Amino acid sequence: MSMTEGLSAAGVYRLAVWLSPAFPVGAYTYSSGIEHAVESGFVADPASLFDWVAAMLRVGQGRVDADFFRDAYAAMHSGDADAIAEVTALADAMRGTAELALESAAQGDAFLAAARAAWPEPRLDEFAALIVALGRKPAYAVAVGATAATHGVPLREALTAFLHAVAANLVSAGLRLIPLGQTDGQRVTARLEPDVVAAAEAAMRRSPQDLGAATPMADWMSMQHETQYTRLFRS
Amino acid sequence: MYGVISPSDRLALAPPLSGVCGVARIGYAAADGVSRLAVLEQQSPLRVLFPRPAAGDPPVAALVTTSGGLVGGDRLDVAVTVGRGARLLAVAQAAEKVYRSLGSDCVVEIALDVADGAWLEWLPQETILFDGARLRRNTALDVAGNGRTLAGEMLVFGRVARGETMTYGLVRDGWTVRRDGRLVWADALHMAGDEIPYSLNAAAGFAGARAYATAIYVGPDAADHRGLAREAAASPGVRSGATLCGPVLIARWLGREPADVRRAFGAYWMRLRAAAGGLAPRLPRLWHV
Repeated sequence: MSMTEGLSAAGVYRLAVWLSPAFPVGAYTYSSGIEHAVESGFVADPASLFDWVAAMLRVGQGRVDADFFRDAYAAMHSGDADAIAEVTALADAMRGTAELALESAAQGDAFLAAARAAWPEPRLDEFAALIVALGRKPAYAVAVGATAATHGVPLREALTAFLHAVAANLVSAGLRLIPLGQTDGQRVTARLEPDVVAAAEAAMRRSPQDLGAATPMADWMSMQHETQYTRLFRS
Repeated sequence: MYGVISPSDRLALAPPLSGVCGVARIGYAAADGVSRLAVLEQQSPLRVLFPRPAAGDPPVAALVTTSGGLVGGDRLDVAVTVGRGARLLAVAQAAEKVYRSLGSDCVVEIALDVADGAWLEWLPQETILFDGARLRRNTALDVAGNGRTLAGEMLVFGRVARGETMTYGLVRDGWTVRRDGRLVWADALHMAGDEIPYSLNAAAGFAGARAYATAIYVGPDAADHRGLAREAAASPGVRSGATLCGPVLIARWLGREPADVRRAFGAYWMRLRAAAGGLAPRLPRLWHV
């Protein structure tokens, strides 16, 4: 697939597969702290679930991961090994809590292993070897961004699909925890469409010096989750 | 040179053609088991004072911003080096104010280098961001070998005591922590323009908190103190928590009242310096003022 063309049918197919809940990254075991947000009453219904996920996309981990995705994509696309190493290290280190670090690293590791096994690509093997040499884990956003670039899937579409998967996984966690029905969940996901599109567009325009988030309550939920007595999720 | 100009005078000088550029470089080295000042360089509006430490405490270096606060275009560069086996308590003499900017960012770059076997406390007071302030601050901590560091920050979003909340401007507060040259933790708070009121009010953002503090401890024994950190971070009027990311023990506080966050942060600091540094559970006198 060429970089300069739009999204091909093959590109649609690959994004749909990689970012489907069926792709074996174990996404359903992570809640990004929403489990404690439900436990403590901050997320209790479709409206508060929407607000939570929208904030994560606009000013939270979703925004930061969108920047890492963009940078990993650009570094792989240009074959810049130093830039790949830099974004891999920064995305590995920039995690607010132990469980958020686990969530990103475990999914990134699993994603890269499954993508390399099912869609062999020598450049992804080199990327995986570099990560091992650095003694790092690939953040989930970095793993998907690097894979999309290697396969020539256009950035805007790949990033939008990635952010949809992140948002849909948070909604899914909220549904199971609150609990809500599937239709309520789909309404929240539909309502998030402009937020996901805007988050992808914003990441493509954002200066690297503006990397960051403003969601300390999400980190706080994750810290509380570490000692929460009854837990369905690993984060 | 700006020391005699009051903050209100400085605000009247509109717009500043170029801001002030303060520098403070402080180095301590150990000889015969005693930590002594080895490097000192200072440029207004930064000054370094050396109050007498309490018995048994490390030497104290107190940073003063003599201009009374920062405006857009100002720049501060602070570098603290603690040599092999040396100890230092570096403390801010007072709260730092960042005034409303006319458009430029003020930039603060802090580099903390801690050698093998050294101990550093980097103990700030709160940074008060006036409505419309624009601050870009980076703190880069490099710890070698068995060096240990307790470092913190406190941010207040608006002049809360007079009912002001930050509604626009820029806050970018970044941290990088390296151990033997390897990046082990990074963190960045960023919010600008209308993201500021949105984030301050959002449930996943600050949920109405107006003060925010972080303390990190880096050392080979960081994991040993996680249980203590969780318990010691708790305090009335704040949401607190602690977590461990590799060799970095992180504690955080959110509160509506800056005084509550400050009290929690100070109490935690005393517990951690005692547990990890074997020091008396106290804070320098000027921190209490």
